[in-house]
Amino acid sequence: MNYLLHLFIMISIYSILAMSINIITGYAGLLSLAHAAFYGIGAYTTTLMMIKLGINFFPALICGIIVTGLLSLAIGYPSLKLKGDYFVLTTIGFQIIIFSILYNWISLTRGPYGIPGIPRPSLLGHEVSSLPEYFVFSLIIALVVFIFVRLLANSPFSRALRAMRDDELAASAMGKDVFRLKICSIMVGSSLAAIAGALYATYVTYIDPTSFTLDESIFILTLLLVGGSGNLRGPIVGAIFMVLLPEALRFIGLPDTIAPNVRQIIYGLLLIILMRYRPQGLAGEYRFE
Amino acid sequence: MKDVPTILRLRNVTKWFGGLKAVDSVTIDFRERKITGLIGPNGAGKTTLFNLINGFLRPDSGEIYYRNIRIDHLMPWEIAKLGIGRLFQDVRIFRKLTVLENVLTGKPSHPGEALTPLLFSLHKVRKIEAHLLDEAHHWIEFVGLTGKEHAPAESLSYGQQKLLSLARLLVGGYDLLLLDEPTAGVNPVMAGKILDIIKKMVTEEGKTVIFIEHNMNVVVEIADWVYFLDEGKLAGMGRPQDILGDVNVRKAYLGI
Repeated sequence: MNYLLHLFIMISIYSILAMSINIITGYAGLLSLAHAAFYGIGAYTTTLMMIKLGINFFPALICGIIVTGLLSLAIGYPSLKLKGDYFVLTTIGFQIIIFSILYNWISLTRGPYGIPGIPRPSLLGHEVSSLPEYFVFSLIIALVVFIFVRLLANSPFSRALRAMRDDELAASAMGKDVFRLKICSIMVGSSLAAIAGALYATYVTYIDPTSFTLDESIFILTLLLVGGSGNLRGPIVGAIFMVLLPEALRFIGLPDTIAPNVRQIIYGLLLIILMRYRPQGLAGEYRFE
Repeated sequence: MKDVPTILRLRNVTKWFGGLKAVDSVTIDFRERKITGLIGPNGAGKTTLFNLINGFLRPDSGEIYYRNIRIDHLMPWEIAKLGIGRLFQDVRIFRKLTVLENVLTGKPSHPGEALTPLLFSLHKVRKIEAHLLDEAHHWIEFVGLTGKEHAPAESLSYGQQKLLSLARLLVGGYDLLLLDEPTAGVNPVMAGKILDIIKKMVTEEGKTVIFIEHNMNVVVEIADWVYFLDEGKLAGMGRPQDILGDVNVRKAYLGI
């Protein structure tokens, strides 16, 4: 039971990450490999606020969202001039810089030693400490994010983003301020990733930089592409599928000596097959070309 | 023509592409509520001129004024919001959006496209959206795409995409329309209908149209005035019937 609750909590966290990168990559068409950096900035800011200043989870989370939103301008401004592959390279650069800072600014982040003993969130004086409670808590947060993202997705804002994704020049000739649209989508998408970071930190109660690497950014992008980008269902389908797939592979009864390696191979193979036969993702309409 | 007010003024506009002078010191006054044709051989700089007017390109020298506002340093979206709309030669529809979404995107200023009104005055945004929806359905019906509202735009034929791009332009409510070969690639019946729309926009709604066209019959049918461009230079102007007698034009179009 605890094992299942743990998986559901991870699905909530990864759903938030997939929904948030969907705004940047799915709607605005900006392929980003910096999402783990924003996830990490959110996790670290919230944690440091709670531990060093002793403030409550929610105000700390709001600080995390604001700091992440502001730092996202570092990839927001290059996105105005750079397209496609060049923008991806910028995001990789940003990802690597953030990882290095988390790893080397030891006086602030304790670097590779990580930060242990992060308090669980408390609501009206009650600490959300047990696993079932935390499961409900993470589900509610994911639901709030979903409702917010749905409001955006059904709005003229999302329509303008998707128009820009399909033809930036034509959109600009139709009065769409593409600079503002890009900056807004990046700021909103990365701010939401901070929420996932805060959830992760207070769930595991320990963070270190290795949770926020380029690998993790690739994984988050994979969630989106596997699930399907540019719509509401895709990110959630992707998060569920990608969290449960490796777990499901545990139960196929491989001999212990080769199990981990074979699981990796099957996992990789399934992804290749999926992308070959369903390039738009499991629940997607839009595909990158 | 001298008594008609000017809506758009180009003053010595020049644009270089590397070593090539694509537009060479062009000075033109475009008259309000008139249909003006731009003709000339391929590579004469007609589309480049449109790109300079709607802000895709910046002139290397010269000035462009729209209703006495200098626009040659503005961004395309600022120019669109001033009231200059553009129909593209290569349609440039939003392929993954539906037909209806494409037309809805045509409005140059929509508060729902910014986050603050979306989050803090949703009611107002919804009202504007509902009104825009009515307009969009009107123009979709107008160009004969009723029933295709929810089809992805990329599933339409080229001719239908052209009509869609026209509906998307007309919903914008622009005062000055730049049309790059508006009838190319559509069937004759539809082409006739598009020309009727263009004439109606000018006579009934007081719009101004500048269009690029290779089909001389179209030019003669709708243009009030024609400018002939050749190798980036303004090489002639006049009424459509007169300019067809021009030696340079005959050489460029008829080879005689």
